[in-house]
Amino acid sequence: MKNFKLIAGILVFGSLWGFSECILGSILKDAGLPYGALMTGFFVLTFLVLSRMFYRQPGMQMGMGLVAGTLRLFNPFGGCHLCSALAIMAEGAIFELIWHKFSYDFNEFRTTTLQSSMGILTAYLLYVSGYIVTQVLTPIVSGVGFHIENLVVFMPRILSSGLLAALIGAVMLPIILQAKKLDLKIKDKLYYPTALGISAICWIIVIGTWFILGA
Amino acid sequence: MGKDKRIPVLAMIVLLIGIGSTIYVQASQNNTSNIKINGQEYNIEDIFKIAEMRTIVTDNGEITGVALDDLIIKTSNICNSCNQYTFKAKDTYQQTVPWSYMQKGVITDYNRVYFQDTAHSFWVNNVVEIEVN
Repeated sequence: MKNFKLIAGILVFGSLWGFSECILGSILKDAGLPYGALMTGFFVLTFLVLSRMFYRQPGMQMGMGLVAGTLRLFNPFGGCHLCSALAIMAEGAIFELIWHKFSYDFNEFRTTTLQSSMGILTAYLLYVSGYIVTQVLTPIVSGVGFHIENLVVFMPRILSSGLLAALIGAVMLPIILQAKKLDLKIKDKLYYPTALGISAICWIIVIGTWFILGA
Repeated sequence: MGKDKRIPVLAMIVLLIGIGSTIYVQASQNNTSNIKINGQEYNIEDIFKIAEMRTIVTDNGEITGVALDDLIIKTSNICNSCNQYTFKAKDTYQQTVPWSYMQKGVITDYNRVYFQDTAHSFWVNNVVEIEVN
C-alpha cells in the first residue's frame, strides 16, 4: 500500500512539475524572461522539497524527474523539447544527490541562514548541473557527438545564469520549509482519486494542446 | 567543520562563482555585427547577396534564410563533407554540426541559425563566427 501511495505521489508531483515547465515555462520564455532560472528557483525547488517533506522516501524525486521530463517531451510550445526533458530528468537525480546526507524532517535547518544557504546551494546546483547535462547529452542523443570545447567556452555563461536561481532559492527554501508546520493528512479514499485526477488533468492539457496545435 | 558552518560557506562560494562569472561574461561580450566565416569577415547583407535562399519547416514555423551549405561552398574552398562546422554566438554559446546539418540549415537576417528536424539547442542566436574544423 505504501508503494502505491509513493507511486501516486511521484505521478502527481512529477506531472505538476512537468505541467508547470510546459505551460508556465513557455509563457515566461515568450515574455523574454530567464525562464530556466525562474522555473528552478520557484517551482522545481518547491515540488522537490515538498515531496521530500511529505513522503520521506529516497528515489522519489528521481522518479518525479522522469515523469516531468517525459511530459516535457510532449510539450507543444516553443523551446527545446529534448534538451529541456533531459535537464528536468537530471535535476531530479541531482536533487537526490545533494540531499541524500540530510534527514527527511529537515531538522538540520534550524536557522534562516542555514535554510537560505541550502536554498542557494540546491537551486544553483540544480540549474547549473541540469544545464551542463543537457549540453552534453543533447548532441550525443542527436547523434552529432559531444564537443567538449563547446561546453568549456560556454561554462562562464552557464555559471553566471545560475546566479538568479540561487538568489530565488535563498528566499524560497525558508518559505517552503514553513509547510512543515502544516498537518496535511488526506484519507486514502480521497488520496488516490485526487492524485490520479490532478495527474490526468496535467497530461490531458499538455497532450491535448499538442494534438490541437499539431493538427 | 559541521554542517552548520559548511553549508553557509559553500553557499557563499556558489554566490561568488555566480557573481564572478557574471562579471567575466559581461566583460568578454563580443559586440561585432559582422560574421566571420572560415576566417573571413562578412557583413550579414553580403551573405544574402552571396548565397541562395532556402525555406525550412521547423516546429517554430517556416524559416527563410541563406542556405548554410551554399554559403560554405561559395565562401570556402574546402572539402565540405570532411569538415565540421562550429557556430559561435555573441554570448560565447557554440555548437558544432556535421555537413548533413548544413544541408538543412539556414542563417536569417537577424543572425540566427536554424536547422530542420533537430533539437533546438543546435539553433544558435546572434552568430558571430562560423568556424570550419
